[in-house]
Amino acid sequence: MSYSTIRNLLADGRPVILDGGMGTEMLRRGVRWRQHGIADAPEVIRQVHGDYLAAGADVITAHTFNLTSTNFINFFRDREHMAEIGPPALETKAQELCALAVGLARDALRTSGQEGRVPVAGSISPVQHPFRPDLAPDQAVCADHHAQCVQVLAQCGVDLIFFEAMNNLGELRAAVRAGNRSGLPVWVSLIPDVAGTLLSGESLREAGNIARAEGAAAVLLATAPADVVTKGLPAILNGGPTGAQAIIGRYSPPSWKPDFYPHFVNTGATSPRRYAEAARAWHQAGAAIIGGSSGTTPAHIAAVRQALG
Amino acid sequence: MDYPYLQQRLAAGDTVYLDGGIGTEILRRGYTWASHQLKSEPELNLEIHGDYIRAGADVITTNTFQLSKRSFRNHFANDQHMQAVGEAGLLDRAGELIRDAVGLARQARQQTGRTEVAIAASITTLEWCFRPDRTPDPARILDEYLEELGDYRDAGADLLLFETFPSTPEAKVAIRAARELGVPAWVAFVPYRDGNLLGGESMAQVVDAMGDPRPDVLLLNCAPPAHISAGLEKLAPLWDGPLGVYAHIGKFNPPEWQFTDEYPPDKYLAACRQWHDLGATVIGGCCGTTPDHIAALTRAFQA
Repeated sequence: MSYSTIRNLLADGRPVILDGGMGTEMLRRGVRWRQHGIADAPEVIRQVHGDYLAAGADVITAHTFNLTSTNFINFFRDREHMAEIGPPALETKAQELCALAVGLARDALRTSGQEGRVPVAGSISPVQHPFRPDLAPDQAVCADHHAQCVQVLAQCGVDLIFFEAMNNLGELRAAVRAGNRSGLPVWVSLIPDVAGTLLSGESLREAGNIARAEGAAAVLLATAPADVVTKGLPAILNGGPTGAQAIIGRYSPPSWKPDFYPHFVNTGATSPRRYAEAARAWHQAGAAIIGGSSGTTPAHIAAVRQALG
Repeated sequence: MDYPYLQQRLAAGDTVYLDGGIGTEILRRGYTWASHQLKSEPELNLEIHGDYIRAGADVITTNTFQLSKRSFRNHFANDQHMQAVGEAGLLDRAGELIRDAVGLARQARQQTGRTEVAIAASITTLEWCFRPDRTPDPARILDEYLEELGDYRDAGADLLLFETFPSTPEAKVAIRAARELGVPAWVAFVPYRDGNLLGGESMAQVVDAMGDPRPDVLLLNCAPPAHISAGLEKLAPLWDGPLGVYAHIGKFNPPEWQFTDEYPPDKYLAACRQWHDLGATVIGGCCGTTPDHIAALTRAFQA
């Protein structure tokens, strides 16, 4: 419903501003990263959403990236082992947390008075680690997994499905198809590699073409440093709505976690003003949708909003 | 590496006491374990090691579980990607933290004055410990082990404790690497409720696989007490060398631990007595156990 705001902005050739990092911002605000901090610090999540709204975001992203039952099962041999040594109901935990996360985004919209104008994007990450295209399961497994994620988020009432940080063609195709079945608009962001390819080494141009051919309403680059995003952007400027988001700082994961952990260091090295300069260049190159990936803060989004009007 | 006091006790069939959980103890004391807290909270590490030594542990374990070069590499597509988006120096971090961790264990030992306590290097599988399906090709990992084990040896660990292994193929490589470096190797496998390993091998297959190269001590760990008992009942009659156990208590609630009151120290002690009766002479605690559990064990057994 509120997605019509975005459709209109894009039709009018006006920029659409997304939010920035959520996980990194929570860590920066001192939240302990366990199960996305949703049970520990709901008020911080509401506040971060609120700060992005105050910064001028036209879309906010629910805190559901990498929040799936697969991420829990991955810690165990299988479901049976999980039932033996894990706490009760771990199998449905991700689903419950997703519902809470979408609710927190809605709370922030209500508080800011932007309900009905700003849509909530339901974020879905690759089945496995976003930086490990080699771990991506085959297309049938991806299709099942993403269909479940889409169903969970659609039931939670998100306004669009946002597949973020897609890293290989097979999973990308399966994801967009799964998203389409919700009837909601589907966005995808792709991780470009320094070589100008998709992180898997496959063609970025082909990824953009596949996403659009399968019906994605927008294709973005994300989860790479700004210069890598700049370099890759021309490959996906193929007619439809295009966007860009970059990470700032350096990924500093703990050794022991098998999944993505949003800890970035040296994020202060890219000031909001410098980030806004990169954003202006992406916009001039043809990207209509601009936001931030890990490491970016509400101050970065505010600077982008100011630079792009 | 040398541990004459322990060797004597093992040879005599005396009970040797391990410590309890380190990572979970860090959580229980109100910190996240995400970074192992080696650089950020050295005092906390010293305190926990010290508490275990004061509880009567003969062996303390370094706070290095899943701390390897590969674990950092696994967060990136490849080394070029790591260079582009990762923090500088990540490839050297495991080695540095291993040195810090062994150093803290040594310092804690020195502070307590119990110089006979041995420091065990905690080393788990290269990939996630509970995922036998992710075990790398054993033919391609010897060099990786040699490098990692060398870091522990050079830092001054007394023995290598390969722990939470779900199956034998990788453990065989680990022991081989330890033998090449000339350091004692203890191997702890995860049993399952059926008395086999988590990865499915029977205890007869384990004993067969551990014949050559042979670990100095064979143990079972990181499973609930009932699973440890099921495994030990099958393993004990087949293994003629030193045998050990350390169970976890509570629930693994990724990425943290859920503490429960299911096994308070006196109840854990009762389980330890049962394991000792079955033939285990090396006994301690895994995730969720605390210095109180180890103190209850050592005091009761020495009384």
